[in-house]
Amino acid sequence: MKYWLQRLGMMIALLIAVSMLTFGAMSFLGDPLFNILGPIAGDTENPENVAKVQAAKEQYYLDKPVPERYVRWAGDFITGDFGVQFSTDGQPPVSDLVKERLPRTIQLTVMAQILALGIAIPWGVLSASRANSLTDRASTMTAFGFVSLPQFALGIILLYVFGIKLDLLPDTYNATDPFWGFTHGHRLIQLILPAFTLALPAASTYQRLLRTDLITTLQEDFVLMARAKGMSRRKVLFGHALRPSMFSVLTVFGITAGALIGGALIVETIFRIPGVGLAIVEAILREDFPVVLALVMIVTTAFLVLNVLVDLLYSVLDPRVRR
Amino acid sequence: MTAATAQPELIASDEDELPNFVAKKKLGFGFWLAITWLIVIIGAAVLAPVLPLKDPDQNFVQFEEKENPITGKLTESPVQPPYSPSSTHIFGTDQDARDMLSRTIYGARVSLVVGFAAIAFGMIVGGTLGMIAGFIGGWFDRIVSFLFLCLLSFPALVLAILITALIDRSLFTIALTLGILAIAPVGRLARAQTLVFAEREFVTAARTIGAKNSRILIRELLPNVLIPMSALALLGMAVSIVAEGSLAFLGLSIEKGSTWGKLILTGSGISDLDKAPWIAFTPIIFLFLTVVALNFAGDRLRDYFDVREITV
Repeated sequence: MKYWLQRLGMMIALLIAVSMLTFGAMSFLGDPLFNILGPIAGDTENPENVAKVQAAKEQYYLDKPVPERYVRWAGDFITGDFGVQFSTDGQPPVSDLVKERLPRTIQLTVMAQILALGIAIPWGVLSASRANSLTDRASTMTAFGFVSLPQFALGIILLYVFGIKLDLLPDTYNATDPFWGFTHGHRLIQLILPAFTLALPAASTYQRLLRTDLITTLQEDFVLMARAKGMSRRKVLFGHALRPSMFSVLTVFGITAGALIGGALIVETIFRIPGVGLAIVEAILREDFPVVLALVMIVTTAFLVLNVLVDLLYSVLDPRVRR
Repeated sequence: MTAATAQPELIASDEDELPNFVAKKKLGFGFWLAITWLIVIIGAAVLAPVLPLKDPDQNFVQFEEKENPITGKLTESPVQPPYSPSSTHIFGTDQDARDMLSRTIYGARVSLVVGFAAIAFGMIVGGTLGMIAGFIGGWFDRIVSFLFLCLLSFPALVLAILITALIDRSLFTIALTLGILAIAPVGRLARAQTLVFAEREFVTAARTIGAKNSRILIRELLPNVLIPMSALALLGMAVSIVAEGSLAFLGLSIEKGSTWGKLILTGSGISDLDKAPWIAFTPIIFLFLTVVALNFAGDRLRDYFDVREITV
C-alpha cells in the first residue's frame, strides 16, 4: 500500500514538473500574440493597435507574470477546463479539439499495440522453441532490421508497396468514413497501414525480449516436468512457459506506449490522419499554448498511468510478486 | 521415446545461449562489417569535397533531340526531371535534376555531425551528472534521478519539436536539443554503473590508501563506466540520427544544407513516390544501413562488455 502511495505521489510530482517545463518553455520562448492578432501585434506606434494588443493581453492573461498564469492554468486544467485556443477567434475550445482528435489516435495506437502483440507472441515462441535454428537466426535478423528502420522510412516503404504499387490499401485517411464497414473506404481499413507502421518495430522489440526470456524459462525444471508427464510441446510452450516469460515484454510495453506517441506524430503526418500527433505539431508551430499544454498533459498522463497498470499486471502474471 | 527425443529440442539451446565463460568472447564478423560501413560512410562524408562526386547543387538538366512538329527540324529540348538511375546518375536525380548520390553523401555530413554532437553532449552532461549522483548519493542523487525521470516521461519528440519550433533551426540548436534528450538514458546507465563499481574492492582499496573523491571518480570509476558506455554511445548516435530525420520529416530540421531526413521528405509525396521512388529510397537506404551498423555494433559491444542495465 505504501508503495502505491509513493508511486502516486511520484506520478503527481512528475506531471507537475512536466507541465511546468512545457509552460515555462512556451512562455519564455514563444510569443503567441502574433498568431492571435497578426502583424499588428508588434505595432507600438498606432494607439488603436496598442489598445488592441493590450486588450488581447488582458483577455488571455498575457499581461500577468508567468507563475500567476501557471497557477491559473493549472487550476482550470484540474477542473477540466482546458481554456480557449490562441487563435483569432479562440474557437473551438481546446476540450472540443481534444474530443475530436483523441479518439483517432487512440484507435490507431490501440490497433498498433494489438497488432504488435499479435505478431510478437507467436513469432517469439516460434523463435525460442527452435532457438539457433535457421528460422530463429533469420527472424532475429528480421527483427533487428525492423528495430533499426526509422518509423518514417518504414511508413514510406509500406505506403509505396501497399498503398501505391499494389494499391491494396488506401494511402490517405478520410475521417468522415464509418469506422466499421465493408467498403474500401472505411476507417478500419484506412488504419491498417498506419497501424502496421507503428506495430512492426514494436513487435520486433517484443519478439527479441520474449525470445530471450522464453529460452531462459524453457530451461526451468517445471518445463521438464511438464514434458516428462507427456504434455505436448505446444501446450507446454503456450500453457506453461509463455506466462512467466512475459515480464520484459510487459515492461517494455509500457515504455513503447510512450514511443508510440512519438511514432503517432510521424505516422499521422505520413498518412494524413488528423489525430493528436498532428494536432501537437500544428499547435506548436502556431504557438498555440493551451492546445500544446492540454495535449502534452494528456499524453504524459496516459503514459504514466499505463506504466502503473503495467506494474499492477506483474502481480497478475506472476503470483510471486504479490508480497 | 518421442518425448525423449523432443525434449532436447525444446531446451536444446542451453549450450549456445548460456554465456561461455571459458572461451574468449568475440565481436564477430558482423561487428567488423558494421564498423567497415561506418568508416566508409564517415570517410565519404568527410572527404566529400575531394571525392569525384558531382556537385550536389548543380542541376544536370538533360536534353533530347525532338522533331519540331511544325518546322520538321530537329531541336534540343530539356527533359522533365526527375531522371531515373542511369550510368551518369547511379541513384537518379531529384525533381530539380540534382544528383541523388552526391546529395545523399553531402546530406550525411550534417546528419552524422548532428548525431555525433548530440550523443557527445548527452554523454558529457548525462554521464557527469549520473556518475556524481551515483557516487555521492543522498539528496543530489534523488534530485538528479527525478530530473532523469522527468525527461524520460516527457514524450521525447514533442520536446524536440517544442524547442526547435520556439528557438531556431540552426545546426547548433538541433544538436543541443537531441543532446538534451540523450542526457536521461546516458545518465541512468552511468549512475547504475557507478553504483555497481563503487561497491567493488578496488574502490575501497583506493579509499583506504587515502585517495580523494575526485581521484576515485576520475581514475578508478570513470574508466570502468566509460567502457560499457561506448556501446550506448553507438546506439545513442543511431537514435539521434533517426530523431533528426523525424524532425526533418515534420519540416523542423536544420534550415540550411540537406540532411537525410530532408532528402527523404522531398521524395515522399505520393506522386513523387509513385513516379520517382529513388528520390526517397536512396537516402532511406543510406540511413538504414548506417542505423543498422550503429545498432549492430552497439549491440555486439554491449554483449561483449556484458552490460545489463541498459536503457535506450
